[in-house]
Amino acid sequence: MVQQIQGIIVVNTETIPGKLITESLGVVSGSTVRAKNIGRDFTQGLKNILGGELHKYTELLEESRAEALSRMVSDAMSRGANAIVNVRFATSAVTAGAAELFAYGTAVKIE
Amino acid sequence: MPKYNLMIRYLNLVSIFSILILTLPTIAAQASSDGSGGDSLCFLPILIFGFLAVIFSLIWGLMYPTLLIWGLMFSGKNLDKMIINTNEREQLVISKFGKDTLSNIDGGFRKDVTSSGIVWAGAVYGPSHWHLLRGFINNIFGGSIDIFQKVISAGRAESMQRLREIAMEEGWDEVINVRIDTSPMTPASHKKGLKAVEIFAYGTGIKYN
Repeated sequence: MVQQIQGIIVVNTETIPGKLITESLGVVSGSTVRAKNIGRDFTQGLKNILGGELHKYTELLEESRAEALSRMVSDAMSRGANAIVNVRFATSAVTAGAAELFAYGTAVKIE
Repeated sequence: MPKYNLMIRYLNLVSIFSILILTLPTIAAQASSDGSGGDSLCFLPILIFGFLAVIFSLIWGLMYPTLLIWGLMFSGKNLDKMIINTNEREQLVISKFGKDTLSNIDGGFRKDVTSSGIVWAGAVYGPSHWHLLRGFINNIFGGSIDIFQKVISAGRAESMQRLREIAMEEGWDEVINVRIDTSPMTPASHKKGLKAVEIFAYGTGIKYN
């Protein structure tokens, strides 16, 4: 997990249970736009005719979300924060087969 | 229906490339009869490309109806199988913890939390083109389109179940403040492209003693 590697606590609640927030350092965000290669797009297009889960796209979005989150974490680290609270995710489809993943939250200092 | 547009587009492609293939050799022959014999060779890549395109569109034209019939026969069964499978895994996790580990309340009431962190899981699900056709027919008469509702709620149950499993793997006792997002893979303004939605669930995992 991202937050365990970087040593930063990331939660999507307004407060961190059991910790006291001392200082707010503003909104931090990270985003990424990624796509799979054309061969994957073709095979997933065939899979889409049959219906069901599209595993390659699930994988793609998982990877890109981890990347967006790690960018947000490095943004927070550059501000000297040691936690991010109230994290939200947003997704928007740019074209078929490419997606923008966006993660944002508030960087805070905790005791 | 976008499907029929697609079919017509491919048929157009076939006819255009067949015309190209029929006319190009005569052009090449004319060029060679003018005295510049070596120039006819430069049409070869175009010919090969046209030939490949025709073969590809013929294969696609045969494959699409086959896949559609395959979807007609099996997509409903696969959907039912998936719903049963998700339910079974859900019961397994719930019986292990004694309760549902997901909740969307804020965890402020708990004072004995030792650590917390974000967990997330997602799944991309789409109805088969047979289901799309059924949905299109339903759409004419209006009312609820049950087949899309079934596909999307199956995907939602699956991604929530993944969140439970990931939280269990990472050692969290409970997941609070769960949010569920649903977003289309293809923008709604696009006629063609992937017909699928991404269902994404995230929350805060907490550990307590």
